[in-house]
Amino acid sequence: MSFHRNEQVGTVQDMHSSRSSVARRSTSRRAALAGLGMLGLFLAGCAKDAPQDTFQPAGENARTIDNLQRPVFWIAGVIGVIVFILMGYIMVRYRDRGQSLPEQTHGKMSLELGLTMIPTLIMVGIAVPTMATIFDLAKTSDTECVVNVTGQQWWWEFDYPVQEGCVSGGIKQPIVTSGQMPIPTGTKVLLKIESRDVIHSFWVPKLNGKKDSVPGRTHTLRMEVDEPGIFSGQCAEFCGLSHARMRMEVVGLNQADFDTWATNQLEPYEAPTDPLALTGEATYAAQCSRCHQVDGLKKDDGSLIVSQPELYVVSGAAPNLTNLMTRNTFAGATWDLLTPACRDKVWNASPEEFGALYLKGVTRECLNEAELRDWIRDAPNKKPMYTDPTKLEPSDGKVRGMPALGLNDDQITELIAYLLERK
Amino acid sequence: MAIIERPSATPATAGAGAPTFVPPSQAMGIFHRPVATTGWKSWLFTVDHKKIGIMYGVAAFAFFLVGGLEALLIRTQLAAPDNTVLSAGLYNQMFTMHGTTMIFLFVMPMISALANYFIPLQIGARDVAFPRFNALSFWCFLFGGIFLNTSWFLGGAADGGWFMYQPNASNLFSPSHGVDFWALGVQITGIASLTGAINLIVTIINMRAPGMTLWKMPMYTWMILVTQFLLVFAVPVISVALFLLTFQRSFGGQFFNVDAGADPLLWQHLFWIFGHPEVYILIMPSFGIASEIIPVFSRKPLFGYKVMALSGAVIAFVGFGVWAHHMFASGLGPVSVAVFSASTMIIAIPTGVKIINWTLTMWGGKIRYTAAMIFILGMIVQFVIGGLSGVTHAVSPSDTQQTDTYYIVAHFHYVIFGGAVFGIFAAFYFWWPKMFGRMLDERLGKWNFWLMAIGMNLTFGPMHMIGLQGQPRRMVVWPSKLTGDGLFNLGFWNRVASVGSYMIGIGVIVFLVNIYRTHRKSNTASLAPLDPWDARSLEWMTANPPKDHNFDAIPTVHELDEFFHRKYEEVDTEHGPKLVKTTTAEALLAEQEANADEHIHMPSPSYWPILLAFTLPVISYGIIFSIPLAALGGALLLVCAFGWALEPSTAPESDFDPPAEAGPSKELEHVG
Repeated sequence: MSFHRNEQVGTVQDMHSSRSSVARRSTSRRAALAGLGMLGLFLAGCAKDAPQDTFQPAGENARTIDNLQRPVFWIAGVIGVIVFILMGYIMVRYRDRGQSLPEQTHGKMSLELGLTMIPTLIMVGIAVPTMATIFDLAKTSDTECVVNVTGQQWWWEFDYPVQEGCVSGGIKQPIVTSGQMPIPTGTKVLLKIESRDVIHSFWVPKLNGKKDSVPGRTHTLRMEVDEPGIFSGQCAEFCGLSHARMRMEVVGLNQADFDTWATNQLEPYEAPTDPLALTGEATYAAQCSRCHQVDGLKKDDGSLIVSQPELYVVSGAAPNLTNLMTRNTFAGATWDLLTPACRDKVWNASPEEFGALYLKGVTRECLNEAELRDWIRDAPNKKPMYTDPTKLEPSDGKVRGMPALGLNDDQITELIAYLLERK
Repeated sequence: MAIIERPSATPATAGAGAPTFVPPSQAMGIFHRPVATTGWKSWLFTVDHKKIGIMYGVAAFAFFLVGGLEALLIRTQLAAPDNTVLSAGLYNQMFTMHGTTMIFLFVMPMISALANYFIPLQIGARDVAFPRFNALSFWCFLFGGIFLNTSWFLGGAADGGWFMYQPNASNLFSPSHGVDFWALGVQITGIASLTGAINLIVTIINMRAPGMTLWKMPMYTWMILVTQFLLVFAVPVISVALFLLTFQRSFGGQFFNVDAGADPLLWQHLFWIFGHPEVYILIMPSFGIASEIIPVFSRKPLFGYKVMALSGAVIAFVGFGVWAHHMFASGLGPVSVAVFSASTMIIAIPTGVKIINWTLTMWGGKIRYTAAMIFILGMIVQFVIGGLSGVTHAVSPSDTQQTDTYYIVAHFHYVIFGGAVFGIFAAFYFWWPKMFGRMLDERLGKWNFWLMAIGMNLTFGPMHMIGLQGQPRRMVVWPSKLTGDGLFNLGFWNRVASVGSYMIGIGVIVFLVNIYRTHRKSNTASLAPLDPWDARSLEWMTANPPKDHNFDAIPTVHELDEFFHRKYEEVDTEHGPKLVKTTTAEALLAEQEANADEHIHMPSPSYWPILLAFTLPVISYGIIFSIPLAALGGALLLVCAFGWALEPSTAPESDFDPPAEAGPSKELEHVG
């Protein structure tokens, strides 16, 4: 390839030009191929039915956000494509083909101003609906039901305070549960989010954006579910060793089913009749009740056992197990109480069937016994926590998480029999 | 501005007995002032900005490899669900150290490396304003970085995330010493950044060559100047935050103790008031590099020079007003959220202006696709992607879904790695011939680029989707049951991302191979001419590498792109006026040598900077393990400070061995 030159050849680069002209064409071609490849991958590729997909809102608040995020993504995508097409054009059209030194233009203010105006107008166009949405999502005046959410290393506690809403006829006695938070569908629920130790973040993507749970502060978050179903979430602010295993689910139940659930949560304690479960009750009282409250459980002398986790646990609480088998995950909603087959049935149920299936709770046939055994036998092995008794000096001997209790397999069998009846 | 002159001590007669007076340089110390110009001492005690720049570069690159290894371990752990390559504790240390290393020990020092080397050259100066201070910056960075990494062997590295939120990073919840190492290590490197910033600001403002007004400075110098102002105002904020953290952890302070009434959001505000300008600190130098490289390889001047300079200043200014966009989910009220959402949208505009101007620089040009140029083009494409995802976070309701997910990880890796780091690699290829007299191989350079670019896009591209479809960040494991159905579920994309990260690693290895092959003595093809790219700015009007004193004669600057205009003249032809190359860099250099200044005085090497820097880790180890040690370190620091202050910047005659002949006096000239 020959060049006609007006100017003196003075650089090594000029001598390499003939080689680079071939290289630059294949550079452009390779660039185009790479770009197409990326685009292809991108278009091929969203996960179907990801449980925490922000593009599949299942409630009003997530839908508000999705309605705002989609057009913004489209605008950003279009701008990106325009910029890349323009750059691609320039890279091909103005490559060194041996032309003479180009005109040494320094700038053109009108062009600058014009091209600055366009992104400014786009930004204003995006800003206006953004501001409106911010204030919409911060509204608390239309609340119909309040749930207190407390984050703690590494699980979530939910308590339903005494109020007029949530349940038909109101809640007369506080309900305490953990891991799964049932709420009535079509109801404007307000979460009041706090923390007992470090900063966590409450995030159920299909229902709303996230809100941090900060010790010493109370933050609110709107929550609303369209239809019955179960919706996954995770702690979304790094909170230490088992941040990855601090999950939760929101459970949508129609009003009737929610009323049934709430009533059940407050039913008086029934002592077990099955002999194995009865032994388990004694084992529970001896080993577990120090931290894990079961309402109505009595000591040998007939007085109520009130758990005192504040004596043993840094953050001062442990999950309330009164109605453990009415929820279907455990240990910070990290493992299923249900076998995979039963889990699929409940989690993939249609909205019409879901309520009944959920309210059935965990039965003997559906119990994921292996996981529960592992946990009771050696919890820190399954989920890293600070429970090594030799290393608790910084926390004055208190644990962060559930320690290994040194129970043998028989004791665990008894406990499981007892826990199965906690419904 | 004059540097204080010190009259030379009466030189002792060569060969005579001991002088009857105590030479000033011996007054404080036991040791003679170092004066070596070759060998390891000439590096350890140097105050030459070029040597310091190279040491910054080598150390920063070594930390790049460390941080890269940490990244590969992270991606290996995340290549499969519920993986067990790294325990949760180790994983938390790994991502904390990866972020800390890459930001504080790689990108920032590498920026200093290039700025230290090239700012004096670009402005026609012989060194920076405070050469010993400059050496101090480097040694503080190196010792701080090493100190930070000794934590791996002394009880575990920091594990609270690079952002170290309270109260998780307090003694109760992070009992190991890792966080202490982090706080003190980052504090020491912060001193490096702050001292470097002061140095470069004074240098750029005071020491430009005659005739070089601010509007005739190269754009890289402009962007570095803006970056240094960002540092001067941002670093003190993190210094305060780190002091509070150290006092809380080591001396019983209650600043972040909720039980004592503290609000954990205090840490977040302090951290992000630093942390947001920090990201502009990371990217602006690469913007400057782009503004150097694109004009050279498009054969046209930068389009809209003044707009580019001003947009840089606007970004820096507005950059101090957007910090709480990192806190949209932290519990700020809707009014604060709305204000910061708006300010974040505003900052997109001057950034977009830069992209427009680079594009218009290339328009109508004569574009050569060298390795430096394609790295810059890759930088622009990737930065646009990262910038557009940044705009989507400015919409704060969306951000409450995106924050703390892999979507954010994708965003900042596109802008920092795809943007700032690609700009740095472009600078390597561009400026290597000037620094080392050899040109890195172009073919290997292209392999380097494509491996890094494809690897980078494979790693971080899918993360956009992974985040939006529900995977939070800082998670040691991801479970299959959250990955969705189908072939292209989140599990698939996690695997793709891990494969991509290995490709990046291979790309970096190619770069190292390139360096090795280039510098083999037998490789004469890589020897570089003075001006291999037909460039535009003053640093190319020097030897390869530049002489110790940079310029034999300080040039007088008449216009922007002074060097280009000395080579090219407008000549009238029958087709109208045309720019014709009338001279070469070699000829210009010869002309300089012919007119060399008679008296060229350079500051002398000194051991006080490295000694003083060394006392800082001593104090820090003392704070963690033994207060008496800290006190000892403090005392040594005072000794070093005084020793330094009492030492003249230029060594008197009698320090040279053998003593110099009676010749030009060693008084310092007025500079700048």
